[in-house]
Amino acid sequence: MNTRIIAKLDVKPPYVVKPVHFEGLRKMGSPSELAKKYYNQGADELFYIDIVSSLYQRDILFDNIEKVASELFIPFAAGGGIKSIDDFSKMFRMGADKVVINTYAVQEDPSIINKASEIFGSQAVVVNIEAKKWKNHWECYTDCGRIQSQKDVLEWVQEVEQRGAGEILLQSVDTDGRRRGFDTELAEKVVNLVDIPVVVSSGAGSLEDIKTLIKVANPSGIAIASLLHYDQATIQDIKQCLNINEK
Amino acid sequence: MKNKYQMNNLIGIVNYGIAGNIHSVKKAIEKAGGNTLVINTPTDFDLVDKVVIPGVGSFKDAMQELSNDGFIEPLKFFNKPILGICLGMQILANLGFEYGKTKGLGLVDAEVKLILCDGKIPHMGFNKIQVVNPNILLDGLEEKEFYFMHSYEMVNYTNISALTEYRGHSIVSAICKNNLYGVQFHPEKSREAGIQLLSNFIKLKV
Repeated sequence: MNTRIIAKLDVKPPYVVKPVHFEGLRKMGSPSELAKKYYNQGADELFYIDIVSSLYQRDILFDNIEKVASELFIPFAAGGGIKSIDDFSKMFRMGADKVVINTYAVQEDPSIINKASEIFGSQAVVVNIEAKKWKNHWECYTDCGRIQSQKDVLEWVQEVEQRGAGEILLQSVDTDGRRRGFDTELAEKVVNLVDIPVVVSSGAGSLEDIKTLIKVANPSGIAIASLLHYDQATIQDIKQCLNINEK
Repeated sequence: MKNKYQMNNLIGIVNYGIAGNIHSVKKAIEKAGGNTLVINTPTDFDLVDKVVIPGVGSFKDAMQELSNDGFIEPLKFFNKPILGICLGMQILANLGFEYGKTKGLGLVDAEVKLILCDGKIPHMGFNKIQVVNPNILLDGLEEKEFYFMHSYEMVNYTNISALTEYRGHSIVSAICKNNLYGVQFHPEKSREAGIQLLSNFIKLKV
């Protein structure tokens, strides 16, 4: 099975933005336009993350989700500010196939992962990890890379797997948006630690970076943002370079 | 008889559960040229010519919801084409082992169990199907890739129409028995190949 190439939209409604180190937002375009663009380029999947919902503690803007989902015939994962089973339900009703959760599970109640996976199936529950490296370990951050949690990433990924998460989105606060390569050391560790699929994000600056990540960590999927937003590469380019044949 | 053509194409989508990706299934069927009716009550089954059972959620919850909605009997006695998608295919089986042991619709002789193999579970992503018993539903789709998103699989089944290889393990990816069709993957999430499959389903003679 080929590595999934996923387009990731970090959204500060109404725009897709691109933070550097999760800060300093730049407008990239509208979510539905970009979703369509990457769908047409051959993306295997789309991730939509409202990156300010938790931080600003405001309600999720479900209308946006529905608009983006409406023209896609590929899986669509959405998240940002998910706080309850009811939020999960609403996301699915708006057309999401998977729901992405981070802050609430880390800060408030990790058992939401158990509940959601029992009701919706584990395949529909994605746990987003925002990792920051310290001397000898990585720590989980929340609220778009701003709040330190004291949770150790390597322990947390095993805990969320046990709780029923179906997938991990692994982001790095250190490498995100810098386009200087992934944190391959972390990626390798996490991929080897858990039996659920891991989607690695944060740091692709070139096709070489992607090749290196696959060689070192071989994740199930790679989520790409900047590289696509700045038109440095298309999904076709990435697949071609990885020798993934067109469907 | 303008209505007759339309009636022959009216596809009912079973609306059950609190999750349910009704939305994307509906969109995809319409994209494939079908007319849809969302089935909300047991009597809605009388109005449609074909039925699609979408699937998101767990086996146990799905059966509970179908029972609450009064959909179990109408589904068992529906004698026109049925297409079960993912969990919608799995619940056609006798038994499911997701969160305990749950009775399924019992329309096909099979059980649904956790996938046991070396690969990561859930089996997630685009993967090829190998057609072992061709039928109209899979017409022109030999070796095409479809999107899979599941941790459980159908086992002990003899009416297999397609298999999919995952880390040296063969997963039943499509079944067919009389009027019953089932696919483990999500055609509504599988780009052109998925739309083609739904279009084949729409074209099936009632």
